[in-house]
Amino acid sequence: MSSPIAHWDPEYQRRAATIVERYPDVRSAVMPLLYLASLHHGHVTEEAMEEVAALTGLTAAQVQSVASFYTMYKRERVGRYLVSVCTSISCFLRGADEVLAAVEGATGVVDGETDDEGLFTVEHVECIGACGGAPALQVNYEFVEGVTPAKAAELCRWLRDARPEVVLGDEMQLLFGGRPSFDPGAPEPEGAIAPVPAFGPYGSARPGTGGGR
Amino acid sequence: MADAPDQVSITLDGRVVEVPRGALLIAAAIEAGTYIPHFCWHPRMKPVGMCRMCLVEIDTPRGKMLTTSCTTPVADGMVVETSSPVVKKAQEGVIEFLLINHPLDCPVCDKGGECPLQDQTLAYGPGDGRFVEEKRHYPKPIPISDLVALDRERCILCARCTRFSEEISGDPLIEFVDRGNHVEVNTFPNHPFTSYFSGNTVQICPVGALTARPYRFRARPWDLEAVEAVSTVDSVHSKVSLEASMNEIVRISGVDCDPTNQGWLSDKDRFVYEHLLADDRVVVPLIANGDGFREASWGEAVGLAASRLADLGGAVAGLGGARSTNEDAYVFSRFLRGVVGTPHLDAQLDDGLAPEFAAAVEPRALIDDLDDADAILLWGPDLKEELPVLYLRVRKAATAGAKLVVVHPRRTGLDDVAAHTIRYRPGEGPALLRRLAAGEGDLAEARDALGAGKVVALVGRPGLAEPAELAEAVAAFALTLDDARILPLVRRGNVFGALDMGLAPTLLPGRVSVDDAERRRALAARWGSLPDGVGMGATDILEAAASGRIGALVLLGVDPVRDHPRPDLARRALERAFVVALDLFVTDSTRHADVVLPVAGLGEIQGTVTNLEGRVQKLNRVVPPPGQARPAWSILDDLAAALGSELEADAVEKIFEELATLAPAYEGLTWDRFDWAEGRDGVVVPLEGVTPPLRHVPSDPGLAVVSERPALHLARVLYDDGVLVRHCPSLASLAPEAAAHLHPRDASVLAVREGDRVRLEGVGVVELPVVLDPTLAEGTVYVPFNLAETAALGAVPSVRIDVVREAGS
Repeated sequence: MSSPIAHWDPEYQRRAATIVERYPDVRSAVMPLLYLASLHHGHVTEEAMEEVAALTGLTAAQVQSVASFYTMYKRERVGRYLVSVCTSISCFLRGADEVLAAVEGATGVVDGETDDEGLFTVEHVECIGACGGAPALQVNYEFVEGVTPAKAAELCRWLRDARPEVVLGDEMQLLFGGRPSFDPGAPEPEGAIAPVPAFGPYGSARPGTGGGR
Repeated sequence: MADAPDQVSITLDGRVVEVPRGALLIAAAIEAGTYIPHFCWHPRMKPVGMCRMCLVEIDTPRGKMLTTSCTTPVADGMVVETSSPVVKKAQEGVIEFLLINHPLDCPVCDKGGECPLQDQTLAYGPGDGRFVEEKRHYPKPIPISDLVALDRERCILCARCTRFSEEISGDPLIEFVDRGNHVEVNTFPNHPFTSYFSGNTVQICPVGALTARPYRFRARPWDLEAVEAVSTVDSVHSKVSLEASMNEIVRISGVDCDPTNQGWLSDKDRFVYEHLLADDRVVVPLIANGDGFREASWGEAVGLAASRLADLGGAVAGLGGARSTNEDAYVFSRFLRGVVGTPHLDAQLDDGLAPEFAAAVEPRALIDDLDDADAILLWGPDLKEELPVLYLRVRKAATAGAKLVVVHPRRTGLDDVAAHTIRYRPGEGPALLRRLAAGEGDLAEARDALGAGKVVALVGRPGLAEPAELAEAVAAFALTLDDARILPLVRRGNVFGALDMGLAPTLLPGRVSVDDAERRRALAARWGSLPDGVGMGATDILEAAASGRIGALVLLGVDPVRDHPRPDLARRALERAFVVALDLFVTDSTRHADVVLPVAGLGEIQGTVTNLEGRVQKLNRVVPPPGQARPAWSILDDLAAALGSELEADAVEKIFEELATLAPAYEGLTWDRFDWAEGRDGVVVPLEGVTPPLRHVPSDPGLAVVSERPALHLARVLYDDGVLVRHCPSLASLAPEAAAHLHPRDASVLAVREGDRVRLEGVGVVELPVVLDPTLAEGTVYVPFNLAETAALGAVPSVRIDVVREAGS
């Protein structure tokens, strides 16, 4: 029988095979495979869940159960830039609501939605662990700390105009951030490509391989 | 402290009780008479502690603690409070919480009146809630399969349904979706809940979230009149309650019978009652009239049947009885042998096993033997399709650690829990068996798995194109193992009871060989006479009828045109002979009858039946038969009277008493025994100390290998086009699409792709679309048996395949 992911990028297929092999109980492979599938499809589509089910021998319902539990598996289309504004207690006290409103205003996208063009997705998120630099937000999971409503709006306009292929936390922090929670040290070499996190055990997405669209 | 090593003592609300070591506290308390309210815990499933309703206070070194009793095993000296003020407050809190989103639409809810949430709110709830916010809203109800509807507003997220699907039936098609306040139970889009066991989730749902679409709004629970019976859909005989409203059976529920179904049913068991209400059920006697039938009085119909049977002398044969009760089968056996005077009778249609093997194989296993078996050999039908509740029991045993070896021409429902799966081409079974017995090559591990400890061999025919003797050979192999028992597998309703009642050419009632002189004398004394010699079996009977040597056939609930391996022969036989049919319907077979006599069906009669273990259980009656339908034994009694004989069949208890006297294996049984105490779980015959004359120890018949290609694998599916399913509107639509399944390599040799059409020539010719099945043994065509489009094919060892090419391509 032909592989359920024969239409994937060969590199992703190779990674999928490694993941399936890695776990004695193939069920454990569901989460990393969902990441890979969302790299291929842009988000966790129904087709992606069916493919992961076929790879692991689970039912699509079981895969859906996992995918829907974790908010970072995006089951809706995600824009090229995912702007996540933290609204938990520290950021809230330092004006997160105003930051979120500014981001909504600058992007024209309401919290939880994506624009028609597929450029921005705006969401509010629970604590992202940057309380020392509150209020904080992320673009494609890259941090910008100590933002103000005005700076946040400026950041969004910059994203719209400059359309960076890769977003770098250090760069955005420099241009639009305020006081960070700690000294970031030397600039990081890699950034993130929407809509999937660039970090994590499965390696960063490479530029131009199906991340942003 | 407890005295017995397997007991511990705990203090339950100040009372010291002895409970089984290792038991869950909730189970131990309920067993000891102290009810603990619960929703998610179910005695047949692993605990999860999700609903929090079963909180109790337990003394710990750190003081009293609230703990879920469903996840806490008992410990010696444990002190438990189940109704202290703290516990009561916790229970009230849990109920108040569960009701935050529950819609309280009880007046229009199927579950209302038998709802654990309703009942426990009354018994343990606070009587009021503080939550005034808007409840969750969903479209309701949504169909999640053809049989089940889901109302997410009512759901309390106990996970009973999702756990059942994963843990018990092994087809987790419903699951939790989303998180937190948004959690719901649902299916995957476009993957409906097509489990063969979906109805169980409706039954165990503690609220009205899952409802059965055939039952929705049909009755209120307090209107239902219920009796116990067993499902005669297959030979496992799952215990059920038949529930009727306004003299119609509207629901069948599973009853927990520990040795058989443990509460579960297949959806076919559960929804099969629909056929009883079918519009085209035969409810008055019919006499052939040109191409159709005309209605007749009982007197005219019985008179016509009797006069023709009398004219023919002994040139009469009987087929059927495998769907009837033991009493019907016994009376049929006595009618044919004692009144008509024919030795030609058969309950099977050459689609089962040798009668001696099925009825009297030794040593015979019980279903319960699966639970402590070290290994299980399954060489027979796909249990999920043919004996679904037995599939659940094997699945349970295999999941618990028994090494399961499945031998079948293609993937079966149990492959995912099997330690070893072995495929073979039908016809090459004998060669495979010899290699397995010798542990050759890749079969060494499977052979080793069977080599040690207790083995249960589940033995039957994997498909109808394979010979019945294959089972004999497999059983003979099993007996070479240290400690093996055999469970013979034949599907049809009460086939084991029918064989026990002597409905086989080689058997007399009570597992007696037909040439046992002593038993013959005893029977002849009671029956008046007994024909000499061994009669013909089903195929010979049909051949004799087709050629005119048998002039008349008496059919008792049997459909040879659909169920015999040679449908053409069956049709010719029925066309030529004078046919008296006792049936529920005009079927493909009974439409050739000269007289059709309407019989009463499930829930309309009392009687006993015998399952594949030899377990005798009772069917009770909850509704009257429709129209003029009557029990078969009563019709046969009339026919006998019209023939000038006396069957003494005037009450079912009396027939049972007679058969318990004359059928040795049933010696010692009494009619009332099945109604009380352990007898409710049925009684396995023969009883201790009773020795039936026939003990069949299988020996290898030395079967020849047939290796013609392509071999035919013709096997039954749960929902086929058989007469019962066809008359159940909810089930009929679930039949799979008819197709010729081919291994991809065979398909590429034939240059066909999925969806192309092929013409198969067996006994008859059928044209089917191709489905590619990489799990099928190469060189084999698999065709589901008895679908409308496949019925004509017939069972032959190998078929001819022609590709149907589109014109011009």
